[in-house]
Amino acid sequence: MLQYLIILLDDTSYSYCHYSDIKTERRLIGLDTLKRGILFAMKENLNIQFVYPDYELPEAYREVIDSIDHTDIKPSAVSDGADVVVVNGCRSLEQMTVDIGVSYVLRTDKSDLFANYRLIMEVLTQATRVNVVLTDVETFTDDDFAGYKRVLGELSENVEKLYVGGKTPQLNILTDRMMLDRMNNCGAGDNNLTLAPNGKFYVCPAFYMENETNDVGDLDSGLHVKNKQLYKLDHAPLCRICDAWQCKRCVWLNRKTTLEVNTPGHEQCVAAHLERNASRELLSNIRKCATFLPEREEIKEITYLDPFEIKEQW
Amino acid sequence: MIGKDNHQNGWLTGQTKSITFIVTKDCQLACKYCYLVGKNSKERMSGEVAKQAIDYIIAHESDFLEESVVWDFIGGEPFLEINLIDQICDYIKIELFKHNHHWFNSFRFVFTTNGINYNSDKVQSFIKKHKSHLNITITIDGTRRKHDLNRIWKTKEMEKGIMPKPEEERGSYDDVVKNIPLYLSQFPNASAKVTISSADISYISESVLHLYSLGIHEVNINCVFEDVWNEGDDLRFEEQLTELADAIIDGGYYKDYACSFFTEHMGKPLDCKLQNQNWCGAGRMLAVDAAGNFYPCTRFAQYSLREKKAWIIGNIHDGIDQNKLRPFLTLDRCTQSNQECIECEVAEGCAWCQGENYDAADTPTVYQRATAICKMHKARVRANNYYWNKLFRKLELEGIAKEEAEKHVKKSNPEIC
Repeated sequence: MLQYLIILLDDTSYSYCHYSDIKTERRLIGLDTLKRGILFAMKENLNIQFVYPDYELPEAYREVIDSIDHTDIKPSAVSDGADVVVVNGCRSLEQMTVDIGVSYVLRTDKSDLFANYRLIMEVLTQATRVNVVLTDVETFTDDDFAGYKRVLGELSENVEKLYVGGKTPQLNILTDRMMLDRMNNCGAGDNNLTLAPNGKFYVCPAFYMENETNDVGDLDSGLHVKNKQLYKLDHAPLCRICDAWQCKRCVWLNRKTTLEVNTPGHEQCVAAHLERNASRELLSNIRKCATFLPEREEIKEITYLDPFEIKEQW
Repeated sequence: MIGKDNHQNGWLTGQTKSITFIVTKDCQLACKYCYLVGKNSKERMSGEVAKQAIDYIIAHESDFLEESVVWDFIGGEPFLEINLIDQICDYIKIELFKHNHHWFNSFRFVFTTNGINYNSDKVQSFIKKHKSHLNITITIDGTRRKHDLNRIWKTKEMEKGIMPKPEEERGSYDDVVKNIPLYLSQFPNASAKVTISSADISYISESVLHLYSLGIHEVNINCVFEDVWNEGDDLRFEEQLTELADAIIDGGYYKDYACSFFTEHMGKPLDCKLQNQNWCGAGRMLAVDAAGNFYPCTRFAQYSLREKKAWIIGNIHDGIDQNKLRPFLTLDRCTQSNQECIECEVAEGCAWCQGENYDAADTPTVYQRATAICKMHKARVRANNYYWNKLFRKLELEGIAKEEAEKHVKKSNPEIC
């Protein structure tokens, strides 16, 4: 069921996810389009998330945006009043002033993460939540997975100390799985859609950035998401039997790697399972020190990193 | 070498990999129902591309663990490239032997041909040379009037988009049927492949009986999967199959002749847990074309697709991208079916082609089952029920119990891709 509408305020709105900032020329959404998008969301009972570019919007836009309850996703350069702040690269964390109550999205790639992951720990001592987004996960090799496992292990040791010490910051790749009791994926195409500056709807911002003809409707004719069942968990044979519940299950990455929105590539699965297994270890270690999430069951030990490997057992 | 070369008994019955060489996209014919919308005379496979494909496959033995392999040659018309095919087959044999490959003792060369140049010296020489490994199916649609309705000769004007007037069309029946005696003398158990389209429904019964009369004991027959069916086709189809059922049973043909339209195992509801397998083998097969691109089956090559882009899973230089195969290898019946198909009370035996599903889908997906064939399947189920009820009763009256009936009826072995 559709619950969220993401509105890209400009073609240069910062990416907060896997896709790259491809568009470099500013194209601010028309004020009338913005108003109509908000009206659409109100009538469809959708929560709005605005995604900002790195420049200040005109006053008239700010007034329209403030006319509705919403979430602001902003780059760190213009982060005043943001609910979610996006930073690119671990090094960006060094100069950042951390604001309690704000969630931080760290977009990073393997070389940056493997070299600078310790900077995440410093932020976590102050921040409430950090979401790590691996922007090149589809390129991971076996060596990269080994590196990622090592990073997760070291991050986990530090998170464990914080939790045992009474602090409970959230780091998506380690703590989400501990808290969940079912799949909690991105939901693009299922519980959220995106309105782009051109007045058209897209499954998510990545589909717009990739090709503007990927639209699934517009403000004039409404939504027409074809084969919308394929964005739902029950139509994803690999994912519906999986318990890496923290996985973003990025449908754009799915399509990029396997040509199908409902089928993840090997790399997305392995990365998610390394996180799952690290969460398992973390949960177990915290529980050795204190009672923690007593209502949650243990995360089971499994022998595979990609559900595809056990498809014959389904 | 001779001992090793006699593989007729070496064929293993376990899982079989099908590897298809699209050796040419050219054909002498321009069959009206042909799904190959991009046929042309330019895209012919080179020996070098074929060798590189074979080298890749043999070098990656651990990715091809099936016990046996079918090397399938397709066109267009494959026998137009008989010299190349001969080279490929020699190369395969030598390389399998050189690498002590597990397929060396378990492979077949398989052809579906229009049969036109079957009697040529080159084709005959090829057959003689590789006979112990060969399976050849000739496509002949039945009686002259049914065959010639669709299977017509290509003209030069057609390549420019100019179609002949109906009276100018030249059928290919005579050019094929003359080769059937030779074909049957070389492959006595051979079957014929028949395709049904909207225009030729009225000739089904006579056509199957005609093929029997030519000495073909097994007729593999299917309706095209494309959305070509017209109002009332299902009723005419049912009527034809019922007429055919009467002829087969009353004439006693069921003892020695088979027609794939009639099978005991169809027309029942299916369970989404216990009977959830995909119908089609796309993704478990491999196809390679003249450009050296790999596909999950030939139906995903561009010349087979009307609306969608080719689904390329790799090439002979970079190998196979396993991620591009994952959707096929995790595909099941119910996930790709709509609710009507899931709840269908006669779902068993309803076939689909993954390539046609992809081509006809609303988005570029293999997870949307095309249902153009729905009415035709239901008509077939009704005729099939009639056939078995009538046959079982006849056998019963002859003192043969239902449980014993199997021994008295020749079964068809339709190829399911």
